[in-house]
Amino acid sequence: MSTPPDQQRREESAGLMEYSTESLVPFGPIHPALKEPEYFKLVLEGERIVNVIPRIGYVHRGLEKAAESRPWVQNMYMFERTCGICSFVHSLCYGQAVEELTLYQVPRRAKYIRTIIAEMERIHSHLLWVGLMGHWAGFDTLFMWVWNDREVVLDLVEAISGNRVHKSMNAFCGVRRDMPENMADRIVERMKFLTDRARYYRDIIDSEETMLERTENIGRVSAETVEKLCAVGPMARYVGIKRDVRLNDPYAAYDEVPLDVITTTEGDVHALLRLRLDELVASANMVAYAVKNLPDGPIRVKVPPIIPAGEHSSHCEAPRGEIFYYVKSSGGRTPDRVKSRQPTMANLPTALEMLKGQTLADIPIVLTAIDPCFGCMDRMSFYDTETNRSWTWSGEQLRQYGINYYFPERSKKQRGLTRAADSLTNQCVREGL
Amino acid sequence: MSETLAQLGKYAEEAGTKVTSLRKNESSVEVSQDHLKAFLARLVNDLHVRHLMTITGLDLGQSLGIVYNFSKERDTIHVRTSVPKTKPETLSITDIVPGAILYEMELHDMFGIEFAGNPWKDQKLLLPEEWPADLPPPLLKTTKPDQIRRRLGLEAAKP
Repeated sequence: MSTPPDQQRREESAGLMEYSTESLVPFGPIHPALKEPEYFKLVLEGERIVNVIPRIGYVHRGLEKAAESRPWVQNMYMFERTCGICSFVHSLCYGQAVEELTLYQVPRRAKYIRTIIAEMERIHSHLLWVGLMGHWAGFDTLFMWVWNDREVVLDLVEAISGNRVHKSMNAFCGVRRDMPENMADRIVERMKFLTDRARYYRDIIDSEETMLERTENIGRVSAETVEKLCAVGPMARYVGIKRDVRLNDPYAAYDEVPLDVITTTEGDVHALLRLRLDELVASANMVAYAVKNLPDGPIRVKVPPIIPAGEHSSHCEAPRGEIFYYVKSSGGRTPDRVKSRQPTMANLPTALEMLKGQTLADIPIVLTAIDPCFGCMDRMSFYDTETNRSWTWSGEQLRQYGINYYFPERSKKQRGLTRAADSLTNQCVREGL
Repeated sequence: MSETLAQLGKYAEEAGTKVTSLRKNESSVEVSQDHLKAFLARLVNDLHVRHLMTITGLDLGQSLGIVYNFSKERDTIHVRTSVPKTKPETLSITDIVPGAILYEMELHDMFGIEFAGNPWKDQKLLLPEEWPADLPPPLLKTTKPDQIRRRLGLEAAKP
Protein backbone atom coordinates (compact mmCIF):
# COMPACT_ATOMS: atom_id res chain seq x y z
CA MET A 1 0.00 0.00 0.00
CA SER A 2 1.42 3.38 -0.96
CA THR A 3 -0.13 5.63 1.72
CA PRO A 4 -0.11 4.51 5.34
CA PRO A 5 -3.68 4.05 6.60
CA ASP A 6 -3.38 6.76 9.25
CA GLN A 7 -2.22 9.35 6.79
CA GLN A 8 -4.88 8.30 4.31
CA ARG A 9 -7.53 8.65 6.98
CA ARG A 10 -6.31 12.13 7.88
CA GLU A 11 -6.42 13.16 4.24
CA GLU A 12 -9.94 11.83 3.83
CA SER A 13 -11.13 13.66 6.94
CA ALA A 14 -9.31 16.84 5.97
CA GLY A 15 -11.33 16.94 2.77
CA LEU A 16 -14.54 16.87 4.76
CA MET A 17 -13.47 19.48 7.27
CA GLU A 18 -13.37 22.22 4.66
CA TYR A 19 -17.09 22.44 4.26
CA SER A 20 -18.84 20.74 7.16
CA THR A 21 -18.80 19.74 10.79
CA GLU A 22 -19.21 16.10 9.86
CA SER A 23 -16.86 13.45 11.17
CA LEU A 24 -15.73 10.47 9.19
CA VAL A 25 -15.60 7.16 11.01
CA PRO A 26 -13.87 4.30 9.25
CA PHE A 27 -15.53 1.18 10.55
CA GLY A 28 -14.19 -2.16 9.61
CA PRO A 29 -11.99 -5.19 9.80
CA ILE A 30 -8.48 -5.55 11.09
CA HIS A 31 -7.83 -8.89 9.44
CA PRO A 32 -9.67 -11.11 6.94
CA ALA A 33 -9.15 -14.09 9.24
CA LEU A 34 -11.64 -12.62 11.69
CA LYS A 35 -15.29 -13.44 11.27
CA GLU A 36 -17.19 -11.47 8.62
CA PRO A 37 -14.90 -8.56 7.83
CA GLU A 38 -16.57 -5.63 6.12
CA TYR A 39 -15.63 -2.01 6.13
CA PHE A 40 -17.88 1.01 6.34
CA LYS A 41 -16.97 4.65 6.16
CA LEU A 42 -19.47 6.34 8.44
CA VAL A 43 -20.02 10.07 8.19
CA LEU A 44 -21.36 11.39 11.48
CA GLU A 45 -22.90 14.64 12.56
CA GLY A 46 -22.50 14.51 16.32
CA GLU A 47 -24.10 11.20 17.28
CA ARG A 48 -26.18 10.79 14.12
CA ILE A 49 -25.07 8.88 11.06
CA VAL A 50 -25.63 10.92 7.91
CA ASN A 51 -23.96 8.78 5.25
CA VAL A 52 -22.44 5.33 4.91
CA ILE A 53 -20.10 4.05 2.19
CA PRO A 54 -19.42 0.29 2.10
CA ARG A 55 -16.28 -1.58 1.16
CA ILE A 56 -16.56 -5.36 1.03
CA GLY A 57 -14.50 -8.13 -0.50
CA TYR A 58 -12.04 -8.84 2.31
CA VAL A 59 -12.91 -12.51 2.11
CA HIS A 60 -13.60 -12.59 -1.64
CA ARG A 61 -12.01 -15.86 -2.74
CA GLY A 62 -12.76 -15.69 -6.45
CA LEU A 63 -15.09 -18.70 -6.50
CA GLU A 64 -16.64 -17.64 -9.81
CA LYS A 65 -13.22 -17.69 -11.46
CA ALA A 66 -12.29 -20.95 -9.75
CA ALA A 67 -15.52 -22.58 -10.99
CA GLU A 68 -14.45 -22.11 -14.59
CA SER A 69 -11.57 -24.53 -14.19
CA ARG A 70 -13.30 -27.22 -12.12
CA PRO A 71 -15.62 -30.06 -13.15
CA TRP A 72 -19.36 -29.53 -12.79
CA VAL A 73 -19.73 -31.87 -9.81
CA GLN A 74 -16.78 -30.45 -7.91
CA ASN A 75 -18.27 -26.97 -8.22
CA MET A 76 -21.39 -28.07 -6.41
CA TYR A 77 -19.40 -28.81 -3.25
CA MET A 78 -17.23 -25.76 -3.69
CA PHE A 79 -20.23 -23.44 -3.86
CA GLU A 80 -21.63 -25.18 -0.79
CA ARG A 81 -18.63 -23.73 1.05
CA THR A 82 -19.64 -20.16 0.19
CA CYS A 83 -21.27 -19.83 3.58
CA GLY A 84 -20.93 -21.70 6.84
CA ILE A 85 -24.54 -21.16 7.86
CA CYS A 86 -26.72 -21.43 4.77
CA SER A 87 -24.53 -23.92 2.95
CA PHE A 88 -27.08 -26.43 1.63
CA VAL A 89 -29.15 -23.90 -0.26
CA HIS A 90 -26.14 -22.80 -2.33
CA SER A 91 -25.51 -26.28 -3.68
CA LEU A 92 -29.26 -26.65 -4.20
CA CYS A 93 -29.50 -23.47 -6.25
CA TYR A 94 -26.41 -24.21 -8.36
CA GLY A 95 -27.64 -27.78 -8.80
CA GLN A 96 -31.06 -26.63 -9.98
CA ALA A 97 -29.54 -24.32 -12.58
CA VAL A 98 -27.44 -27.22 -13.92
CA GLU A 99 -30.34 -29.67 -13.76
CA GLU A 100 -32.27 -27.35 -16.10
CA LEU A 101 -29.51 -27.88 -18.66
CA THR A 102 -29.79 -31.66 -18.49
CA LEU A 103 -32.92 -33.54 -19.50
CA TYR A 104 -33.24 -35.49 -16.26
CA GLN A 105 -35.97 -35.07 -13.67
CA VAL A 106 -35.39 -34.96 -9.93
CA PRO A 107 -37.20 -37.84 -8.12
CA ARG A 108 -40.04 -36.74 -5.86
CA ARG A 109 -38.51 -38.26 -2.73
CA ALA A 110 -35.30 -36.29 -3.32
CA LYS A 111 -37.33 -33.08 -3.64
CA TYR A 112 -38.89 -33.75 -0.23
CA ILE A 113 -35.54 -34.49 1.38
CA ARG A 114 -34.16 -31.25 -0.09
CA THR A 115 -37.08 -29.35 1.39
CA ILE A 116 -36.57 -30.92 4.82
CA ILE A 117 -32.87 -30.05 4.93
CA ALA A 118 -33.43 -26.53 3.55
CA GLU A 119 -36.05 -25.79 6.19
CA MET A 120 -33.91 -27.22 9.00
CA GLU A 121 -31.15 -24.93 7.78
CA ARG A 122 -33.53 -21.98 8.00
CA ILE A 123 -34.46 -22.93 11.58
CA HIS A 124 -30.81 -23.15 12.62
CA SER A 125 -29.89 -19.91 10.87
CA HIS A 126 -32.78 -17.97 12.40
CA LEU A 127 -31.98 -19.31 15.88
CA LEU A 128 -28.37 -18.28 15.44
CA TRP A 129 -29.49 -14.81 14.45
CA VAL A 130 -31.91 -14.38 17.37
CA GLY A 131 -29.08 -15.34 19.71
CA LEU A 132 -26.74 -12.80 18.14
CA MET A 133 -29.37 -10.07 18.41
CA GLY A 134 -29.61 -10.87 22.13
CA HIS A 135 -25.84 -10.68 22.45
CA TRP A 136 -25.48 -7.32 20.72
CA ALA A 137 -28.42 -5.86 22.63
CA GLY A 138 -26.78 -6.80 25.94
CA PHE A 139 -29.06 -9.76 26.74
CA ASP A 140 -26.62 -12.65 26.83
CA THR A 141 -29.04 -14.99 28.61
CA LEU A 142 -31.17 -15.06 25.46
CA PHE A 143 -28.06 -15.77 23.41
CA MET A 144 -27.16 -18.81 25.52
CA TRP A 145 -30.67 -20.25 25.64
CA VAL A 146 -31.25 -19.85 21.93
CA TRP A 147 -27.92 -21.33 20.92
CA ASN A 148 -28.59 -24.26 23.22
CA ASP A 149 -31.88 -24.92 21.39
CA ARG A 150 -30.05 -24.60 18.09
CA GLU A 151 -28.17 -27.77 18.98
CA VAL A 152 -31.47 -29.66 18.71
CA VAL A 153 -31.82 -28.93 15.02
CA LEU A 154 -28.10 -29.36 14.34
CA ASP A 155 -28.26 -32.83 15.89
CA LEU A 156 -31.11 -33.73 13.55
CA VAL A 157 -29.18 -32.45 10.53
CA GLU A 158 -26.19 -34.49 11.65
CA ALA A 159 -28.32 -37.61 12.05
CA ILE A 160 -29.63 -37.23 8.49
CA SER A 161 -26.56 -36.04 6.60
CA GLY A 162 -23.62 -36.97 8.81
CA ASN A 163 -22.51 -33.34 9.10
CA ARG A 164 -23.57 -30.34 11.12
CA VAL A 165 -22.59 -27.51 8.81
CA HIS A 166 -21.56 -28.55 5.30
CA LYS A 167 -24.10 -31.25 4.66
CA SER A 168 -22.91 -32.20 1.14
CA MET A 169 -26.35 -33.76 0.65
CA ASN A 170 -27.00 -32.60 -2.89
CA ALA A 171 -26.10 -34.32 -6.11
CA PHE A 172 -27.25 -33.43 -9.61
CA CYS A 173 -30.85 -34.65 -9.92
CA GLY A 174 -31.13 -36.03 -6.43
CA VAL A 175 -29.60 -36.29 -3.00
CA ARG A 176 -26.69 -38.42 -1.84
CA ARG A 177 -28.19 -39.86 1.33
CA ASP A 178 -31.60 -41.21 2.10
CA MET A 179 -33.48 -40.30 5.28
CA PRO A 180 -32.63 -42.74 8.08
CA GLU A 181 -35.42 -45.14 8.91
CA ASN A 182 -37.63 -44.60 11.97
CA MET A 183 -36.62 -40.99 12.36
CA ALA A 184 -39.97 -39.41 11.52
CA ASP A 185 -41.38 -39.53 15.04
CA ARG A 186 -38.24 -38.08 16.56
CA ILE A 187 -38.16 -35.22 14.04
CA VAL A 188 -41.83 -34.38 14.57
CA GLU A 189 -41.37 -34.40 18.35
CA ARG A 190 -38.27 -32.16 18.16
CA MET A 191 -40.06 -29.75 15.81
CA LYS A 192 -42.88 -29.50 18.34
CA PHE A 193 -40.29 -28.66 21.01
CA LEU A 194 -38.73 -25.95 18.81
CA THR A 195 -42.16 -24.47 18.05
CA ASP A 196 -42.86 -24.15 21.77
CA ARG A 197 -39.48 -22.56 22.35
CA ALA A 198 -39.97 -20.08 19.50
CA ARG A 199 -43.36 -19.05 20.97
CA TYR A 200 -41.69 -18.59 24.35
CA TYR A 201 -38.94 -16.40 22.85
CA ARG A 202 -41.60 -14.35 21.13
CA ASP A 203 -43.17 -13.63 24.49
CA ILE A 204 -39.77 -12.67 25.84
CA ILE A 205 -38.90 -10.22 23.08
CA ASP A 206 -42.36 -8.66 23.36
CA SER A 207 -42.13 -8.17 27.12
CA GLU A 208 -38.44 -7.90 28.04
CA GLU A 209 -37.43 -4.30 28.52
CA THR A 210 -33.88 -4.80 27.23
CA MET A 211 -35.05 -6.02 23.85
CA LEU A 212 -37.90 -3.54 23.50
CA GLU A 213 -35.70 -0.57 24.32
CA ARG A 214 -33.00 -1.56 21.87
CA THR A 215 -35.15 -2.67 18.94
CA GLU A 216 -38.41 -0.75 18.83
CA ASN A 217 -38.47 2.12 16.33
CA ILE A 218 -34.89 1.39 15.31
CA GLY A 219 -33.92 1.00 11.67
CA ARG A 220 -37.11 2.18 10.01
CA VAL A 221 -37.31 2.31 6.23
CA SER A 222 -40.31 2.71 3.98
CA ALA A 223 -41.65 -0.10 1.83
CA GLU A 224 -41.10 2.10 -1.23
CA THR A 225 -37.37 2.40 -0.48
CA VAL A 226 -37.01 -1.31 0.14
CA GLU A 227 -38.77 -2.09 -3.14
CA LYS A 228 -36.52 0.31 -5.05
CA LEU A 229 -33.35 -1.07 -3.48
CA CYS A 230 -34.34 -4.64 -4.42
CA ALA A 231 -34.02 -6.10 -0.92
CA VAL A 232 -34.76 -9.80 -0.48
CA GLY A 233 -36.02 -12.23 2.13
CA PRO A 234 -36.97 -11.08 5.63
CA MET A 235 -35.68 -7.61 4.78
CA ALA A 236 -38.45 -7.24 2.21
CA ARG A 237 -41.11 -9.08 4.22
CA TYR A 238 -40.72 -6.94 7.35
CA VAL A 239 -42.14 -3.91 5.55
CA GLY A 240 -45.00 -5.90 4.05
CA ILE A 241 -43.63 -6.89 0.63
CA LYS A 242 -44.61 -10.50 -0.01
CA ARG A 243 -41.39 -11.52 -1.72
CA ASP A 244 -40.48 -15.16 -1.17
CA VAL A 245 -39.10 -17.45 -3.87
CA ARG A 246 -40.78 -20.46 -2.24
CA LEU A 247 -44.11 -18.80 -2.94
CA ASN A 248 -43.36 -16.94 -6.18
CA ASP A 249 -41.41 -19.59 -8.05
CA PRO A 250 -41.70 -22.87 -6.08
CA TYR A 251 -38.75 -25.24 -6.30
CA ALA A 252 -38.03 -28.58 -4.58
CA ALA A 253 -41.29 -29.70 -2.92
CA TYR A 254 -42.57 -26.24 -1.99
CA ASP A 255 -45.50 -26.57 -4.38
CA GLU A 256 -46.78 -29.55 -2.35
CA VAL A 257 -45.84 -28.67 1.24
CA PRO A 258 -48.21 -26.11 2.81
CA LEU A 259 -46.31 -22.84 2.95
CA ASP A 260 -46.96 -19.96 5.30
CA VAL A 261 -45.27 -16.73 4.19
CA ILE A 262 -45.07 -14.29 7.08
CA THR A 263 -45.08 -10.53 6.55
CA THR A 264 -45.31 -7.64 8.98
CA THR A 265 -45.86 -3.98 8.36
CA GLU A 266 -44.27 -2.40 11.42
CA GLY A 267 -40.90 -2.07 9.71
CA ASP A 268 -38.46 -1.81 12.61
CA VAL A 269 -35.86 -4.14 14.08
CA HIS A 270 -38.37 -5.47 16.60
CA ALA A 271 -40.64 -6.51 13.73
CA LEU A 272 -37.69 -8.36 12.18
CA LEU A 273 -37.23 -10.32 15.41
CA ARG A 274 -40.88 -11.33 15.53
CA LEU A 275 -40.92 -12.11 11.82
CA ARG A 276 -37.95 -14.46 12.03
CA LEU A 277 -39.38 -16.26 15.07
CA ASP A 278 -42.71 -16.70 13.28
CA GLU A 279 -40.90 -17.98 10.20
CA LEU A 280 -39.14 -20.48 12.43
CA VAL A 281 -42.50 -21.86 13.56
CA ALA A 282 -43.68 -22.02 9.94
CA SER A 283 -40.51 -23.89 8.94
CA ALA A 284 -40.90 -26.36 11.82
CA ASN A 285 -44.44 -27.10 10.63
CA MET A 286 -43.20 -27.63 7.09
CA VAL A 287 -40.50 -30.04 8.23
CA ALA A 288 -43.04 -32.01 10.26
CA TYR A 289 -45.42 -32.18 7.27
CA ALA A 290 -42.69 -33.21 4.83
CA VAL A 291 -41.40 -35.93 7.15
CA LYS A 292 -44.89 -37.36 7.68
CA ASN A 293 -45.71 -37.29 3.96
CA LEU A 294 -42.33 -38.37 2.60
CA PRO A 295 -43.00 -40.27 -0.68
CA ASP A 296 -41.30 -43.56 -1.52
CA GLY A 297 -39.05 -44.07 -4.50
CA PRO A 298 -35.51 -43.49 -5.72
CA ILE A 299 -33.49 -40.58 -4.34
CA ARG A 300 -31.23 -39.88 -7.27
CA VAL A 301 -30.74 -40.16 -11.02
CA LYS A 302 -27.24 -40.57 -12.45
CA VAL A 303 -26.18 -37.64 -14.61
CA PRO A 304 -23.25 -37.84 -17.06
CA PRO A 305 -20.27 -35.58 -16.31
CA ILE A 306 -20.67 -33.54 -19.50
CA ILE A 307 -23.50 -31.02 -19.34
CA PRO A 308 -25.14 -29.93 -22.63
CA ALA A 309 -24.54 -26.40 -23.91
CA GLY A 310 -26.95 -23.69 -22.84
CA GLU A 311 -27.62 -21.24 -20.08
CA HIS A 312 -30.01 -21.15 -17.17
CA SER A 313 -30.54 -19.38 -13.92
CA SER A 314 -32.05 -20.50 -10.68
CA HIS A 315 -33.07 -18.74 -7.50
CA CYS A 316 -33.85 -20.14 -4.07
CA GLU A 317 -34.96 -18.74 -0.75
CA ALA A 318 -32.02 -18.97 1.65
CA PRO A 319 -32.59 -18.06 5.32
CA ARG A 320 -31.35 -14.52 4.60
CA GLY A 321 -33.28 -14.08 1.37
CA GLU A 322 -33.11 -14.94 -2.28
CA ILE A 323 -29.89 -16.38 -3.68
CA PHE A 324 -29.32 -16.43 -7.40
CA TYR A 325 -27.15 -18.60 -9.64
CA TYR A 326 -26.60 -18.15 -13.35
CA VAL A 327 -24.89 -20.99 -15.21
CA LYS A 328 -23.59 -21.01 -18.78
CA SER A 329 -22.29 -24.17 -20.41
CA SER A 330 -20.52 -24.61 -23.72
CA GLY A 331 -20.95 -28.37 -23.58
CA GLY A 332 -17.72 -29.24 -21.83
CA ARG A 333 -16.57 -30.80 -18.60
CA THR A 334 -16.34 -27.42 -16.88
CA PRO A 335 -18.79 -24.50 -16.84
CA ASP A 336 -18.23 -21.52 -19.08
CA ARG A 337 -19.44 -19.10 -16.44
CA VAL A 338 -21.11 -19.34 -13.05
CA LYS A 339 -22.49 -16.25 -11.38
CA SER A 340 -23.62 -16.37 -7.79
CA ARG A 341 -25.30 -13.60 -5.87
CA GLN A 342 -25.81 -13.83 -2.13
CA PRO A 343 -28.63 -12.16 -0.17
CA THR A 344 -26.33 -9.87 1.82
CA MET A 345 -25.21 -8.21 -1.41
CA ALA A 346 -28.84 -7.48 -2.25
CA ASN A 347 -29.65 -6.29 1.27
CA LEU A 348 -26.61 -4.08 1.78
CA PRO A 349 -28.10 -0.93 0.11
CA THR A 350 -31.14 -1.26 2.40
CA ALA A 351 -28.92 -1.70 5.46
CA LEU A 352 -27.10 1.52 4.58
CA GLU A 353 -30.46 3.25 4.31
CA MET A 354 -31.46 1.83 7.74
CA LEU A 355 -28.28 3.17 9.33
CA LYS A 356 -28.88 6.75 8.19
CA GLY A 357 -30.38 8.78 11.01
CA GLN A 358 -29.47 6.26 13.71
CA THR A 359 -27.06 6.96 16.54
CA LEU A 360 -23.62 5.44 16.97
CA ALA A 361 -25.02 3.21 19.73
CA ASP A 362 -27.45 1.55 17.31
CA ILE A 363 -24.83 0.39 14.79
CA PRO A 364 -24.39 -3.14 16.20
CA ILE A 365 -28.14 -3.74 16.37
CA VAL A 366 -28.95 -2.39 12.92
CA LEU A 367 -26.09 -4.17 11.20
CA THR A 368 -26.91 -7.45 12.91
CA ALA A 369 -30.58 -6.98 12.08
CA ILE A 370 -30.08 -7.60 8.37
CA ASP A 371 -28.46 -10.92 9.33
CA PRO A 372 -25.59 -9.94 7.12
CA CYS A 373 -23.28 -12.89 7.51
CA PHE A 374 -21.62 -10.22 9.59
CA GLY A 375 -21.48 -10.58 13.34
CA CYS A 376 -18.20 -8.89 13.73
CA MET A 377 -17.46 -5.33 14.55
CA ASP A 378 -13.99 -6.02 15.62
CA ARG A 379 -12.43 -2.65 15.69
CA MET A 380 -13.52 0.88 14.95
CA SER A 381 -11.33 3.88 14.43
CA PHE A 382 -12.81 7.27 15.24
CA TYR A 383 -11.65 10.57 13.95
CA ASP A 384 -13.16 13.79 15.15
CA THR A 385 -12.54 16.54 12.64
CA GLU A 386 -13.29 19.34 15.09
CA THR A 387 -10.68 18.45 17.65
CA ASN A 388 -8.39 16.42 15.39
CA ARG A 389 -8.60 13.66 17.98
CA SER A 390 -8.64 10.04 16.90
CA TRP A 391 -9.24 6.92 18.94
CA THR A 392 -10.01 3.28 18.42
CA TRP A 393 -12.63 1.00 19.89
CA SER A 394 -12.88 -2.74 19.75
CA GLY A 395 -16.18 -4.38 18.83
CA GLU A 396 -16.72 -5.30 22.48
CA GLN A 397 -16.25 -1.67 23.49
CA LEU A 398 -18.73 -0.58 20.85
CA ARG A 399 -21.24 -3.12 22.17
CA GLN A 400 -20.65 -1.82 25.69
CA TYR A 401 -21.08 1.76 24.45
CA GLY A 402 -24.47 0.80 23.06
CA ILE A 403 -25.52 -0.89 26.30
CA ASN A 404 -24.32 2.04 28.45
CA TYR A 405 -26.11 4.46 26.18
CA TYR A 406 -29.43 2.74 26.77
CA PHE A 407 -29.00 1.28 30.27
CA PRO A 408 -26.47 3.42 32.17
CA GLU A 409 -27.21 1.90 35.58
CA ARG A 410 -26.49 -1.67 34.46
CA SER A 411 -23.08 -1.01 33.06
CA LYS A 412 -21.08 -1.05 36.31
CA LYS A 413 -21.57 -4.76 36.86
CA GLN A 414 -20.29 -5.65 33.44
CA ARG A 415 -17.12 -3.59 33.48
CA GLY A 416 -15.02 -6.44 34.82
CA LEU A 417 -16.06 -8.66 31.92
CA THR A 418 -15.38 -5.95 29.38
CA ARG A 419 -11.90 -5.40 30.71
CA ALA A 420 -11.10 -9.07 30.27
CA ALA A 421 -12.39 -9.04 26.69
CA ASP A 422 -10.45 -5.87 25.92
CA SER A 423 -7.15 -7.21 27.15
CA LEU A 424 -7.70 -10.28 24.96
CA THR A 425 -8.41 -8.11 21.90
CA ASN A 426 -5.39 -5.92 22.58
CA GLN A 427 -3.21 -8.97 22.97
CA CYS A 428 -4.39 -10.23 19.56
CA VAL A 429 -3.61 -6.87 17.98
CA ARG A 430 -0.17 -6.74 19.60
CA GLU A 431 0.70 -10.16 18.33
CA GLY A 432 -0.45 -9.15 14.86
CA LEU A 433 -3.22 -11.74 14.64
CA MET B 1 -47.94 -17.17 -21.21
CA SER B 2 -48.37 -14.60 -18.48
CA GLU B 3 -49.52 -11.07 -19.17
CA THR B 4 -46.09 -9.67 -18.31
CA LEU B 5 -44.42 -11.83 -20.92
CA ALA B 6 -47.00 -10.96 -23.58
CA GLN B 7 -46.44 -7.27 -22.95
CA LEU B 8 -42.67 -7.79 -22.90
CA GLY B 9 -42.89 -9.28 -26.40
CA LYS B 10 -44.54 -6.09 -27.66
CA TYR B 11 -41.88 -3.86 -26.11
CA ALA B 12 -39.14 -6.04 -27.56
CA GLU B 13 -40.66 -5.75 -31.01
CA GLU B 14 -40.67 -1.97 -30.72
CA ALA B 15 -37.00 -2.05 -29.73
CA GLY B 16 -36.27 -4.16 -32.81
CA THR B 17 -35.63 -7.48 -31.06
CA LYS B 18 -37.51 -10.51 -29.76
CA VAL B 19 -37.96 -12.59 -26.62
CA THR B 20 -36.48 -16.10 -26.42
CA SER B 21 -37.85 -18.57 -23.92
CA LEU B 22 -35.21 -20.54 -21.98
CA ARG B 23 -37.68 -22.66 -20.05
CA LYS B 24 -41.09 -22.24 -18.51
CA ASN B 25 -41.12 -18.86 -16.73
CA GLU B 26 -37.59 -17.94 -17.84
CA SER B 27 -37.07 -15.68 -20.85
CA SER B 28 -34.23 -13.76 -22.34
CA VAL B 29 -34.25 -10.66 -24.52
CA GLU B 30 -31.28 -9.13 -26.31
CA VAL B 31 -31.35 -5.33 -26.49
CA SER B 32 -28.83 -3.08 -28.20
CA GLN B 33 -27.00 -0.38 -26.24
CA ASP B 34 -29.06 2.37 -27.94
CA HIS B 35 -32.38 0.98 -26.79
CA LEU B 36 -31.27 -0.35 -23.40
CA LYS B 37 -32.19 2.52 -21.06
CA ALA B 38 -35.56 3.18 -22.70
CA PHE B 39 -36.38 -0.53 -22.70
CA LEU B 40 -35.46 -0.98 -19.03
CA ALA B 41 -37.41 2.13 -18.04
CA ARG B 42 -40.54 0.70 -19.66
CA LEU B 43 -39.94 -2.70 -18.11
CA VAL B 44 -39.59 -1.26 -14.61
CA ASN B 45 -42.11 1.60 -14.68
CA ASP B 46 -44.85 0.26 -16.98
CA LEU B 47 -44.64 -3.50 -16.41
CA HIS B 48 -43.62 -3.14 -12.74
CA VAL B 49 -40.84 -5.70 -13.10
CA ARG B 50 -39.02 -3.96 -10.27
CA HIS B 51 -36.92 -6.64 -8.66
CA LEU B 52 -33.41 -6.71 -10.11
CA MET B 53 -31.86 -9.93 -8.84
CA THR B 54 -28.37 -9.10 -10.03
CA ILE B 55 -26.32 -8.06 -13.04
CA THR B 56 -24.21 -10.82 -14.59
CA GLY B 57 -21.11 -10.12 -16.64
CA LEU B 58 -20.02 -12.46 -19.44
CA ASP B 59 -16.83 -12.67 -21.44
CA LEU B 60 -18.01 -13.34 -25.00
CA GLY B 61 -14.61 -13.21 -26.71
CA GLN B 62 -14.73 -9.99 -28.74
CA SER B 63 -17.27 -8.30 -26.51
CA LEU B 64 -18.48 -8.26 -22.93
CA GLY B 65 -22.03 -9.34 -22.18
CA ILE B 66 -24.09 -7.64 -19.50
CA VAL B 67 -27.18 -9.51 -18.35
CA TYR B 68 -29.72 -7.74 -16.17
CA ASN B 69 -31.55 -10.50 -14.27
CA PHE B 70 -35.05 -9.35 -13.32
CA SER B 71 -37.81 -11.27 -11.66
CA LYS B 72 -41.49 -10.67 -11.09
CA GLU B 73 -43.50 -13.33 -9.30
CA ARG B 74 -43.07 -16.48 -11.41
CA ASP B 75 -41.22 -14.85 -14.29
CA THR B 76 -37.48 -14.50 -14.62
CA ILE B 77 -36.44 -12.07 -17.34
CA HIS B 78 -32.86 -11.69 -18.55
CA VAL B 79 -32.22 -8.47 -20.45
CA ARG B 80 -28.94 -8.88 -22.31
CA THR B 81 -26.74 -6.33 -23.93
CA SER B 82 -23.10 -6.25 -24.97
CA VAL B 83 -20.28 -3.73 -25.14
CA PRO B 84 -17.06 -4.05 -27.18
CA LYS B 85 -13.95 -5.07 -25.21
CA THR B 86 -12.02 -2.17 -26.71
CA LYS B 87 -14.46 0.36 -25.25
CA PRO B 88 -16.23 -1.22 -22.24
CA GLU B 89 -18.59 1.61 -21.40
CA THR B 90 -22.30 1.75 -20.75
CA LEU B 91 -24.80 3.92 -18.91
CA SER B 92 -25.65 3.27 -15.28
CA ILE B 93 -29.23 2.20 -14.56
CA THR B 94 -29.20 3.45 -10.96
CA ASP B 95 -31.68 6.19 -11.93
CA ILE B 96 -34.19 3.50 -12.94
CA VAL B 97 -33.28 0.80 -10.37
CA PRO B 98 -31.42 2.34 -7.38
CA GLY B 99 -30.65 -1.17 -6.12
CA ALA B 100 -28.28 -1.73 -9.04
CA ILE B 101 -25.54 0.38 -7.50
CA LEU B 102 -23.47 -2.39 -5.90
CA TYR B 103 -23.91 -4.80 -8.82
CA GLU B 104 -22.52 -2.19 -11.18
CA MET B 105 -19.56 -1.63 -8.88
CA GLU B 106 -18.98 -5.38 -8.83
CA LEU B 107 -18.97 -5.56 -12.64
CA HIS B 108 -16.61 -2.62 -12.78
CA ASP B 109 -14.19 -4.47 -10.50
CA MET B 110 -14.47 -7.87 -12.15
CA PHE B 111 -14.85 -6.98 -15.87
CA GLY B 112 -13.60 -3.39 -16.07
CA ILE B 113 -16.90 -2.08 -17.44
CA GLU B 114 -17.44 1.64 -16.84
CA PHE B 115 -20.95 2.63 -15.76
CA ALA B 116 -21.38 6.32 -16.52
CA GLY B 117 -23.67 7.90 -13.95
CA ASN B 118 -23.09 5.49 -11.06
CA PRO B 119 -22.47 7.71 -8.01
CA TRP B 120 -19.76 5.39 -6.60
CA LYS B 121 -18.17 4.39 -9.91
CA ASP B 122 -14.67 5.49 -8.94
CA GLN B 123 -14.54 3.33 -5.82
CA LYS B 124 -13.60 -0.30 -5.53
CA LEU B 125 -16.05 -2.70 -3.93
CA LEU B 126 -14.53 -6.17 -4.04
CA LEU B 127 -10.94 -5.75 -5.25
CA PRO B 128 -8.31 -4.40 -2.87
CA GLU B 129 -7.45 -0.70 -3.00
CA GLU B 130 -3.90 -1.54 -4.00
CA TRP B 131 -4.94 -3.70 -6.98
CA PRO B 132 -2.33 -2.88 -9.66
CA ALA B 133 -3.66 -0.80 -12.55
CA ASP B 134 -1.72 -2.85 -15.11
CA LEU B 135 -3.47 -6.11 -14.16
CA PRO B 136 -6.47 -6.91 -16.39
CA PRO B 137 -9.87 -7.37 -14.69
CA PRO B 138 -9.84 -10.82 -13.03
CA LEU B 139 -12.93 -12.42 -14.54
CA LEU B 140 -11.87 -11.99 -18.19
CA LYS B 141 -11.10 -15.35 -19.80
CA THR B 142 -7.65 -14.09 -20.82
CA THR B 143 -6.69 -13.35 -17.21
CA LYS B 144 -5.08 -16.41 -15.65
CA PRO B 145 -4.90 -16.94 -11.89
CA ASP B 146 -1.13 -17.54 -12.19
CA GLN B 147 -0.68 -14.14 -13.77
CA ILE B 148 -2.47 -12.44 -10.85
CA ARG B 149 -0.51 -14.44 -8.29
CA ARG B 150 2.82 -13.53 -9.91
CA ARG B 151 2.00 -9.84 -10.24
CA LEU B 152 0.84 -9.59 -6.63
CA GLY B 153 4.01 -11.34 -5.45
CA LEU B 154 2.14 -14.32 -4.03
CA GLU B 155 4.10 -16.89 -6.02
CA ALA B 156 6.68 -17.32 -3.26
CA ALA B 157 3.96 -18.43 -0.84
CA LYS B 158 3.29 -21.48 -2.98
CA PRO B 159 5.15 -24.66 -1.97
